[in-house]
Amino acid sequence: MIRIKGKAVSPGIVMGKAMLYNSAKEVIRPEKISEKAIEKEVWRLENAVKKTQAQLKKIDRDLQKIMGGDSALIIETQYMLIKDSHLLDEIKIKIKNNLVNVEWAIKETEKKYLQIFNTIPDLSFKTKSNDISDVLNRLIENLKKGSKASLASQPGQVILVADDITPSEAAKLMSNNKLLGLVLNKGGETSHTVILARTMGIPAIMDTINATDSIANGDYLALDSISGEVIVQPTQAVVAEITIKSEKYQIYREQLKTLSQLPELTRDHHQFHLYANIELPFESEIVQAYGAKGIGLFRTEFMYLDSKMSISEEEQYLIYKSIAQNIFPHPLVIRTYDLGRDKSDGSASRQEENPSLGLMAVRMFLKKREPFKIQIKAIQRANSSGNIRILFPMITEIEEIHAIRGIMAETREELLREGKYPKKDVLVGIMLEIPAAVRLIRYLKDDIDFFSVGTNDLIQYLLAVDRNNSDVAYLFSPFHPAFVHILKEIRQEVAKISKEVTICGEMAGKCFQALMLLGLGFTNFSMNAMSIAEIKRVFTQIHYTHLRKIVSKLDQFSSRSEIEEYLTESLLRLYPDLLIRQRLF
Amino acid sequence: MIEKTQIIINKLGLHARAAAKLSHLANMFNANIYLIYNEDKVNAKSLLGILTLAASVGNEIILQASGDDEQEAITAISDLFNRKFDEES
Repeated sequence: MIRIKGKAVSPGIVMGKAMLYNSAKEVIRPEKISEKAIEKEVWRLENAVKKTQAQLKKIDRDLQKIMGGDSALIIETQYMLIKDSHLLDEIKIKIKNNLVNVEWAIKETEKKYLQIFNTIPDLSFKTKSNDISDVLNRLIENLKKGSKASLASQPGQVILVADDITPSEAAKLMSNNKLLGLVLNKGGETSHTVILARTMGIPAIMDTINATDSIANGDYLALDSISGEVIVQPTQAVVAEITIKSEKYQIYREQLKTLSQLPELTRDHHQFHLYANIELPFESEIVQAYGAKGIGLFRTEFMYLDSKMSISEEEQYLIYKSIAQNIFPHPLVIRTYDLGRDKSDGSASRQEENPSLGLMAVRMFLKKREPFKIQIKAIQRANSSGNIRILFPMITEIEEIHAIRGIMAETREELLREGKYPKKDVLVGIMLEIPAAVRLIRYLKDDIDFFSVGTNDLIQYLLAVDRNNSDVAYLFSPFHPAFVHILKEIRQEVAKISKEVTICGEMAGKCFQALMLLGLGFTNFSMNAMSIAEIKRVFTQIHYTHLRKIVSKLDQFSSRSEIEEYLTESLLRLYPDLLIRQRLF
Repeated sequence: MIEKTQIIINKLGLHARAAAKLSHLANMFNANIYLIYNEDKVNAKSLLGILTLAASVGNEIILQASGDDEQEAITAISDLFNRKFDEES
């Protein structure tokens, strides 16, 4: 039994078999097979060979494109080697004569050739041993059940263990319901993969540094992402202990769900609204069960990424319309493609030195209009129920807003001509993510209907901190006095022009941070569906007047640690039950 | 069965790309074709086999073929050696 510590980023407790994702190294052991199994092993070999050939061919083609013409010698050699029927016959003979698994037969063959090449004095031939090892290891990789393509064919659910996975990979894995839990070596707390895991209610631990070294395929794991721990091959006693803890947690979750029926009022009847952030259309069907009164942020990037921008107006129209109807009469806020930043979305036309200061979101839209125009048109067209709003990310200057308004007028005209424009205009909002945009609020009375604060990005751009860079992540704090001040400013400026503002970042879903926001006068919060019940529990047990008083004193403090300490202490003094969850576990 | 002695004249010897060309050519014939160098005899249709010979420039190897198209095979392969595998113009 080994215990691996990590950061609990999506709460829950699960137990199950580990599956290493993309794991390159694995110890190969000889396994005796029966005569009957020979045919199956040979079949596995032939399949893996086909796969390997196809991969090498593709790599070769890709490389040729980059290098212009000539095949890369290494790849060409490897391709020739894997096509060498004599090499494959040798492996097959080993399987038959020695009655061993194909992996071992490959390893033995590799060993033989490495020995031959190593006795050759001519150095240039020594490098050949690398080619042989490379291609045979690729072959072994392709024999694995756990390789990328075959997760869907895994029997039962697994706990995925990986170095890191991209949000789009994660989305695919989660959508086929094979994922019990997630353990990653890397991963910052606010990465999109984590956000996704939380929405889907999949327990996840990150920053374990070397989980992939300590866990082998098929190991039984107890994943406890309340305390942030993975236990590899737990003893029976530990399994029993974890089971009890898991039951307690289930009861707690159920209690939270009953909360979703309560009205959205603090003890002293101050009204607030909780909305859900969603990423995939089907989530709109589950968010109301968590107590969401509408969708405060529908991130549309996945739609774009899945279709490689070819998704038609008609397809999008149907998706938006069905979500809007699901959620009616509550609002659905659709954010236009927020591409070109930390997501590996392939949208960049060239390498940028500073992608997060570069061509992205609305900036990209104003340069490459077509896919965005189609999206805007689909959104306008889908608004027959009248509850759709459109939200534009990463606004820097007012010219961008004028340009967007111009395009929206065009698409509106087109729809009118086609007889597809619904009676109601969509309300138009912008994200406040770039500090400069906060200063524009006062000029936007006639152009903008609502605002949305992307807390993660606003902190990132205000403090000049990359939240995914572990060397500086400590600086990323929602309690920095400058950030608290800008929040106050947003609240005041928006009130002056009588518009609405919603807090959309992950901050909305965290107990003390959300309380600070409520105290600062924000009433609309959009967060991960999983967090809604917890925030509602917290909000419904406090008095807004108390909160206001506490928050009004934040100006006295000059450091983030003072602010955080003061908030936590004064809140806990008034409401000792606030952290009841932490006490339970 | 026929045999022919062949001297390797290309600078790099039977390295990967040359060996690949050789095995590719050998596979176009029905005959069984072997390369004999020092004590080793390898199948000319196997890239890996050729590579294990590690034959370099100046080395002398024996081409051996047996089958209905043995003559054509030996002629074509010998020609490839003499063209220095089309690497040096």
